[in-house]
Amino acid sequence: MNLFALKEQLREAGILISFTGSFSHSIIEELGTAVKKYLETAESQKTAMVDVFSVYIEAAQNVRNYGERRLRAGQNDVDSSIVVIAKRDTRYRIYAGNIVEAEDIAELGARLDRLAAMDKAALKEAYKEQRRKERGPDDLGAGLGLIEIARRATQPLEYTFTPLPDGRAYFSLCVEI
Amino acid sequence: MTIEKLQRSATASTPTVDFDPTSGVLRLSGESYPENAFEYFRPLLAWAGNYVSQARTPIVAEIALSYLNTSSIKSVMDLLDILEAAHRRGSNVSVRWSYAQDNERALEMIEEFKEEVTLPFFIVPVAT
Repeated sequence: MNLFALKEQLREAGILISFTGSFSHSIIEELGTAVKKYLETAESQKTAMVDVFSVYIEAAQNVRNYGERRLRAGQNDVDSSIVVIAKRDTRYRIYAGNIVEAEDIAELGARLDRLAAMDKAALKEAYKEQRRKERGPDDLGAGLGLIEIARRATQPLEYTFTPLPDGRAYFSLCVEI
Repeated sequence: MTIEKLQRSATASTPTVDFDPTSGVLRLSGESYPENAFEYFRPLLAWAGNYVSQARTPIVAEIALSYLNTSSIKSVMDLLDILEAAHRRGSNVSVRWSYAQDNERALEMIEEFKEEVTLPFFIVPVAT
């Protein structure tokens, strides 16, 4: 493998940060620190800086929390996750990908479609309603991550499910800021 | 039973905590996006719940949190609910939340918290 060619490919695609593997909290934290340092020097818009960081954290923690649930259920391929932050001109794109179990595909797709159909005011309402909900005892998150991501996005969320031979799917989310 | 101070040093993903039962000042500052926010905040919420029920001085939450991930937001909402309940019972409770004035997103987050409570809540811009 020619690493120089790979590096050039990453540069041409505007990729600032890309991590693939199993997400631990310390990796999320380290990459987050790197993202923040980059944005502090390269980004003059404070709101864009905060939005990119926030979407990165929510996306990475969603991937990690879902991976954690799958690990508990005996799955051991959670190292196939990926998070990418790219910049083209003045727009940022945050991508997150991971394997989704067959039984979760329809629900996740429906949730994203509902969010994509909401305007900013409706998203704020959904956010406030979800924030008031009681957490289940095994919940790792507050159920707010995707709503937060949709609120920060400047374009409707884009997603795909690439079917895997065993009925599961590889989920990719793209968030533009 | 006397209540001990509750203090935590900041890490990259957790805030500085300084809850002082003598002065009634509950300080929280920095950023919060820990691995498990609910576990992180559980002792803080327990302390606050215990403290507000027996505080003899006015309680002031001096907050300077600039970024919270969503599970930390949920936990801070729970903390505000504890303070709000004390306020409704007649305790002297207030919140002073400061933010860097160029951080519009922090201001929006603080305003969205303020909308959820009726206790005295002051938003303090700090020059950068």
